[in-house]
Amino acid sequence: MRPVPRWALGGTLLGVPLVIALAGPWFAGEPSPRGVSFGSGSLLGTDFVGRDVWEQVLVGGRTVVLVALTATILAFLVGTPLGVLAAMTRRRWLDELLMRPLDLLLAIPSLLLLILLAAAAPPGPPALTVIVAVISLPEVARISRAAALEIAARPAMEAMWLQGEGWWRRAIGYVGRSMLRTLLADLGVRAVGALYLVATASFLGVGVPPDAGDWAVMVDRNRAGMFLQPWAVVVPALLLVGLSVGLNLLFDGVRGHRGEAGVRAIPASFAHPDFLHQSRRARTQKGRAA
Amino acid sequence: MTGNRIPRAAPGRRAAPRLSAGAHRTSLPRYAARRLALGFAQVVAVTALVFALTEALPGDAAVVLAGDAPDPARIERIREELGLDRPAPARYADWLLGLLHGDLGASLTAGRPVTGFLADAAGPTVQLAAVTLLLLVPLAVAAGVVAALREGRLLDRTLTAAGVALYSVPEFALAVVLVALFALRLGWFPPTAVGVGTNLFAQPAVLVLPLLALLARPICSISRLVRAGMVDALGSEYVRHARRLGLSGRRVTLAHALPNAVAPAAQQLARTTDWLLGGVITVEAVFVIPGLGTSLMSAVSARDIPVIQGLALVFAVTTVVVNLLADVVAFRLAPRAGGTA
Repeated sequence: MRPVPRWALGGTLLGVPLVIALAGPWFAGEPSPRGVSFGSGSLLGTDFVGRDVWEQVLVGGRTVVLVALTATILAFLVGTPLGVLAAMTRRRWLDELLMRPLDLLLAIPSLLLLILLAAAAPPGPPALTVIVAVISLPEVARISRAAALEIAARPAMEAMWLQGEGWWRRAIGYVGRSMLRTLLADLGVRAVGALYLVATASFLGVGVPPDAGDWAVMVDRNRAGMFLQPWAVVVPALLLVGLSVGLNLLFDGVRGHRGEAGVRAIPASFAHPDFLHQSRRARTQKGRAA
Repeated sequence: MTGNRIPRAAPGRRAAPRLSAGAHRTSLPRYAARRLALGFAQVVAVTALVFALTEALPGDAAVVLAGDAPDPARIERIREELGLDRPAPARYADWLLGLLHGDLGASLTAGRPVTGFLADAAGPTVQLAAVTLLLLVPLAVAAGVVAALREGRLLDRTLTAAGVALYSVPEFALAVVLVALFALRLGWFPPTAVGVGTNLFAQPAVLVLPLLALLARPICSISRLVRAGMVDALGSEYVRHARRLGLSGRRVTLAHALPNAVAPAAQQLARTTDWLLGGVITVEAVFVIPGLGTSLMSAVSARDIPVIQGLALVFAVTTVVVNLLADVVAFRLAPRAGGTA
């Protein structure tokens, strides 16, 4: 697809659900009195307990979007320093100590981990945020480490070291700043992944109260009446689809825009689960740097 | 960027090993053995982690079994009968010992052996996963190759945009939209698998919508990698050389370019088992299929720890084994790119 239609399409697909999700609660007003279950009186009819579907749609997007965004940011706030520390340390055991447990987390199917963690935690958005952040953490740390490792081996780092620049100046001022582009490109992938996890968890009923006003929960709860009143299921489902499709189209456009070759290949190569090579790589890189 | 380590960036180097296989430093058996040891450690660690997590679940099966009138004395008695009053490490050690004999314990709520429980639930899930994989590989590779051969044309742009768009749509959202359209509106396929039982092949029409929902994401990611690999391979020196030698176009594409393009995709295929397992759980919930995902959800809500443990073991072993196989295959297809060794 040409850039312009793709931007327009992605923008529209993302914009509509996002505006409804973020601004919706202000327009929802007072909940109208409950009617019959799966009735068809109003704009989108009523849901499984007789609440107005349109009002529920207005109210139900905010948690999904906010939980996904907060979880992504949290994962980067914790994962990036971990990865940079693992990449820049001269002590091999510290590198192993930081990265091996995360590799272990990667070996567990993410939804299994999500279901188990969510069952152990109290239901509600804060717990779900932390859980999704924990699940995104290993990938973020791994990508940060890989990016920092390459930058830390550059001659510029040696030059800074010889000039007597401190560890923090080198870690944040040089490595951190040089990594920003890679991290920004990755941010989109992680946000979409977090959205997927949050929506799926809510649909499966883990980590959310059973009657929560939430698009994914609406899809689940109203399925029983799909023959009578399909809109109560289809509208929230389509909003969720639009959200993730739009987000992906836009971020992919950004990635394509900013230098094709390296950045696009991230998911394939850095997500490679075999860390035997990673540690071997680390060893040679560090040998070179030292 | 670590450009020199990304397989895509060095198509020419990947071409060489096919001509002189065996010149790489690590041999395939040694590589496979090391991966096997690693995979084993991963499985043991995953079971320990799951055990620790299930310990943290609030409430236990005794409370669930005690029913509506939870009397503390009764709960205590049930707990003793089930052995829940013993310390967790001792129970984990027992569980590991049992595993060596192929005994996963008995379900706390149903009283049946977990192995039988798993065998029953595995049927529909394995059927679903097998058909998905059977369709996934040829479709994704074909889409990737076709897009690469038509690089930059309308077909390529359409396939690529559709791939990007569908890449991360949650399966349940896609599934209910498909149900609304094809089952309710058009009436082509049944909306759920209710009443079909554990053999889904008895009514193949039931499988169509779950398969569509399951295939959407992996096809996108794999065909995209195949396309990228093919585009690189087709533009490389060795393909040009093969053409100069007068080899037929089809032979160049399929025998020389494709293997190099498939190596990174093989590893992505392994990554998608993670998605497939997740997808299977949600798709089973949407279409009411009595498989492993459904059992997991009900075991978690009933705090049936032996069943959760058994299911986690099955999921973890599957993920580890598939990743291991994919790494070995990728290593064989393109030794330097796969091994970096």
